[in-house]
Amino acid sequence: MRHIVKPLLRHRMMPLLVVLQVALACAIACNALFLLQQKLKPILTSDGIGQPGHLIVAWQIVSRGKPWQTSRLEETAQALRALPGVASVSVAGSLPMVTQARFSANPKAAGSDIQADAAAYIGTNLVKTLGLQLVAGRDFSPGEQHHHNKGVGFHESGPVIITQALADRLFPRGKAVGRIIHLGQGDNVAVRTVVGVVAHLMRNDFGNGKKLDLDYTMLLPGIPGQWPMPSFGVRVAETSNTRSVLKHVRQVIKRMLGTDTVQGIHPVYDTYAQLRDQALAQSRAAVWLLAGVTLVVLFVTLAGVMGMTAYWVQQRTRQIGIRRALGASKRDILRYLQGENLLVVGSGVLIGLAAAYLVNLWLMRHYELSRLPWTYLPLGAMLLLALGQLAVLGPALRASRVPPVVATRSV
Amino acid sequence: MFGYYLELAWRRCRQNLSMMALLVLTMAIGIASFMTATTIFGALSGQPLPGISNHLYVATMDARQTVDKDNNTYDTPQSLLNLRDARALIDAHRASAQFAAAQSVTTLATSDGKISSLAIGLMGYGPLMSTLGVPLRDGRPWTQAEQAARAPVVLIDSKLAQKLFGTTDAVGKSLQMGSQSFRVVGVTAPWKSRTQFLGLTQNSDGPLSQDMQFFVPVGAALDAGVGPISSGKCGNKAPVISFQSTDLGHCRWIETWVALDTPAQVKAYARFLDGYARAQHDAGRFAYAPHARLYGTMAWMDVNHVVPDDVSLNLMLACGFLLLCMINVAGLLAARFLRRQGDVAIRRALGAARRHVFAQHVVEAGLLGLIGGLLALPLTLLGLWIVRMQPVSYAAAAHFSLGVFAGLVALALAVGVVVGILPAWRVCRQPPAIQIKLA
Repeated sequence: MRHIVKPLLRHRMMPLLVVLQVALACAIACNALFLLQQKLKPILTSDGIGQPGHLIVAWQIVSRGKPWQTSRLEETAQALRALPGVASVSVAGSLPMVTQARFSANPKAAGSDIQADAAAYIGTNLVKTLGLQLVAGRDFSPGEQHHHNKGVGFHESGPVIITQALADRLFPRGKAVGRIIHLGQGDNVAVRTVVGVVAHLMRNDFGNGKKLDLDYTMLLPGIPGQWPMPSFGVRVAETSNTRSVLKHVRQVIKRMLGTDTVQGIHPVYDTYAQLRDQALAQSRAAVWLLAGVTLVVLFVTLAGVMGMTAYWVQQRTRQIGIRRALGASKRDILRYLQGENLLVVGSGVLIGLAAAYLVNLWLMRHYELSRLPWTYLPLGAMLLLALGQLAVLGPALRASRVPPVVATRSV
Repeated sequence: MFGYYLELAWRRCRQNLSMMALLVLTMAIGIASFMTATTIFGALSGQPLPGISNHLYVATMDARQTVDKDNNTYDTPQSLLNLRDARALIDAHRASAQFAAAQSVTTLATSDGKISSLAIGLMGYGPLMSTLGVPLRDGRPWTQAEQAARAPVVLIDSKLAQKLFGTTDAVGKSLQMGSQSFRVVGVTAPWKSRTQFLGLTQNSDGPLSQDMQFFVPVGAALDAGVGPISSGKCGNKAPVISFQSTDLGHCRWIETWVALDTPAQVKAYARFLDGYARAQHDAGRFAYAPHARLYGTMAWMDVNHVVPDDVSLNLMLACGFLLLCMINVAGLLAARFLRRQGDVAIRRALGAARRHVFAQHVVEAGLLGLIGGLLALPLTLLGLWIVRMQPVSYAAAAHFSLGVFAGLVALALAVGVVVGILPAWRVCRQPPAIQIKLA
């Protein structure tokens, strides 16, 4: 060890620059990878929607002056249901990937203190239209489905369907079906009985870095009342052409609701697949950017460490020759240089990890970011140590081939 | 001497092309990513109306008139007020200038209804135009008397005038807005703020502002059935209303802005505002303790996150990356310079002073920096183009300008010189005798 450290201390500049560079690269890479993972979350989370190409979503149907009457929304849904090629229709407060209107609540398991932050979709026939996979219990009954909510629906008691993830959170022991959850507090509390559990359903609030479980979602039945911007979901029969059904959906909604929509804001009609693509476009762009940055950072560091090590090793050609003359084998020289690199890069990594952590703490205070999980730290460390070894390999191999006779020249 | 150093630097650059390419490319990538990030950040931060918004403050308070059991706390400051409160604050004339405003979208048409256009504009109360510095081309703003009489008058911008009337000379003409005929009293030049700052809590469509195409006194607009885009927050016992409603008696939907020039004035106005809000609470109109507070434009934009988090995070990432590139280049330059210690030693032995050797190497580093900057120019353009292609709300802010170019050149030179200082100092410190021996 001493024979490695001493020369480093004597010629400080080169090793110091390597340490500085590795530390900075480590801090940047850890945080960039963490941000990348956050942006990747909504892209990778299973959204639970069956056959996304056969689901049409009509949204941004904004009423002017007064909210839509529930009876009018129901009539529109019936007209849509009567179209050829339509298997199921939902009218809802908001739908998955409709990021403009979002509902969320803090459901609490009755009889315990367990609470969660969960999204809610309030509407009719949602299980069928969205193609959700029911894993326990039942779907809402027709009577429950077509209930006209007085408000949007949060303050009423009745049945609820939740995702498996939310069920596991609220009721860690035992089955969720038949259990009670509370929404709201005080005398405003609504009591909901869990009647079914679906495998997955993604929320339409991606959290943007906040710590949110994207699969904590509830379904509440009924047509949302006092609500100005509902969405319609239309499930197209498997044998029908989505494009032509979409054209008819547009006509029906325009005919039934078009006279009372807000000026300057037009309803939008998409297949769910398109909508998902658009909603996630920003996350996807950020993923590419962060991945690009991380790669370039690593590449620049590799090139830099390689260039500096090459010089630092070349400068000591004569000493290496002397060592070889005194009996050191090629392998000893290789080991020596690799060990030296490990030491220098390692100390850079240690400083870098501390910096990464501090940067994350600072970011957490100023932006809505969550804590850097500690698992990123060894990951970043391994990455940079491997990079360092890769950088030293070329120069070290070259140095190990220095013939002992160099030592005898021009002393 | 300088020319000679440049020539030396140039000759050396050509000697080891691959090394030089690596150095220059590293600098170029660092500079380009930094320039891209700062261009966007610069376009989105700073005063929305330079010289004007510096003196503007928005009044905030918890002006809820009914108890809301689900939200008993007042965590985020609210700028939206009931029209009655906004009017009272403005009619008090306690600031040097004050106005209330809300954004509106509506259709404006010629009297015969043949040409119409959907336009976005401001409904205001008080001297909106002069306080915001909206440039008038023709005519005049609405008068106090017209405002009090709820006279149907409107100002439109020259583009809208051209579209509706075929001429910008539109003062005196009539147009249809909502259910009434409005007289055009003024034509403004196209006007928008650099970034959004009015009605931030209602607009979530990104940090960039749009042209305000019309300005109308709020009373006349409401009479004609033209409401604000968003009806804001209404009391929970009131009838629920939707967008573009004029049934706003129970709602908080309009913002009050005041112009204050000195800290003393700000203090005095804050006291007045607090007194007003408390009086309303004591009188039983406000259900909660009002927490009245003034926010300066920048502070208000900060509270409402006008600059998206991603933009500032990207800027920090780019800063870190530039620093990394600089350390990298400094190391590689040091290696490059020290390899030539022999040449240096001979120059020193022939009489070159240390400072000459130092200057020569700094010049070489500066030259490399400039070449890096030259290469960074197309890379920056590429970076901005990529950002413009992105589905982000601030994409339109990614534009190259002369200022950006000047910044880029200065940055490139500075990076080169700063990065060269350490290696140059290191190389000129070597005693010549030992080096000649080594060479």
